[in-house]
Amino acid sequence: MKITKTTQQGVVICHINGDIDINSSPDIRKTFAELTASYQKKIVINLAEVSYIDSSGLATLVEMLKKIKIYGGGLRLSNLADKVKALFEITKLEKIFQIYDTAEQAVAGF
Amino acid sequence: MQEKEAVIEIKDLVKSFDGRRVLNKVNLKVYKGETMVIMGGSGCGKSTLLRHIVGSHMPDSGQVFIKGKDITQLPESEFDKIRKRFGMVFQSSALFDSMSVENNITLPLREHTKLDENIMKIMVKMKLELVGLRGFERLMPSQLSGGMRKRVGLARAIALDPEMVFYDEPTAGLDPIVAGVVNKLILDLSKKLQITSVVVTHDMQSVFSIADRIAMLYEGEVIAEGMPDEIRNSTDARVQQFIKGSPEGPIRFFQEGDDYLKQLTE
Repeated sequence: MKITKTTQQGVVICHINGDIDINSSPDIRKTFAELTASYQKKIVINLAEVSYIDSSGLATLVEMLKKIKIYGGGLRLSNLADKVKALFEITKLEKIFQIYDTAEQAVAGF
Repeated sequence: MQEKEAVIEIKDLVKSFDGRRVLNKVNLKVYKGETMVIMGGSGCGKSTLLRHIVGSHMPDSGQVFIKGKDITQLPESEFDKIRKRFGMVFQSSALFDSMSVENNITLPLREHTKLDENIMKIMVKMKLELVGLRGFERLMPSQLSGGMRKRVGLARAIALDPEMVFYDEPTAGLDPIVAGVVNKLILDLSKKLQITSVVVTHDMQSVFSIADRIAMLYEGEVIAEGMPDEIRNSTDARVQQFIKGSPEGPIRFFQEGDDYLKQLTE
């Protein structure tokens, strides 16, 4: 699993490449912690290259959302594969995350 | 047509206890994503079969393949890797009474992962939502009903996002409505999370409401295997007797012969 960061119109986009599971979610958490430590207000997580996310991965995203909300920031998700989207629906997380079809749409909405 | 993938394959499994053969050359395949129900009367060997699948019993002969690996031949360290891929729901729920619901569910996470405490807490909330027990984290098992305990056991079984879940008599001791709730939950989780499930039960309501396929075990042998309708319409008198719960039929509950009087007077 690899994470690369780009910036577009003042929004940090995290591109995650690879499955998010019990082995890789702690690394993602570390990257997220750096972003929230610097009070980054606008973040998009691009999940285009993620074919599977387990509940530790979902929990990591939830934790990040909670932290960002504390300082008034926003977190958006984009490019969810059907299987990943289904997991968000099962766990009802699609109701608390703002989910966009593309990273560009997510950035534009900020 | 693509052949279905058997995630569990049992080949010629034989097991005896104290000279009594409990499993007699059992052969069975469980395919990816399906719910296989193993039904049969008390003492027919179904729980013993389940214990072989989860590796807590070793056979006298035969093999148990999980995802292509014969677990009867695997060293403990290798088997541990496979063990992480399945969850188990016990008949008794097997919750630790001295631990809260939250700590019971985080137990496998603490044992098998190095996840942060905050992440585990969020995961527990998600698992409890899936089993319909939102907000029950702080309760102790003694404060829960039988059905709730079963559901906490299920939440613990899916804590590590397993590919397979094994259920030993999941509705035993529950009233019909609560049993229906547990059945629906098994069905929902299997379909939503695409989990392969093996359920051992003698609860006929449960059998026909959750099974994709059914195997009937009798005297340590698989005597029938098929889709629910195939089992329902089976011409095997033993299967029909079991489904209908009839005391009369080929399955005898009383010993025959006139040796009773002899035994009394000897």
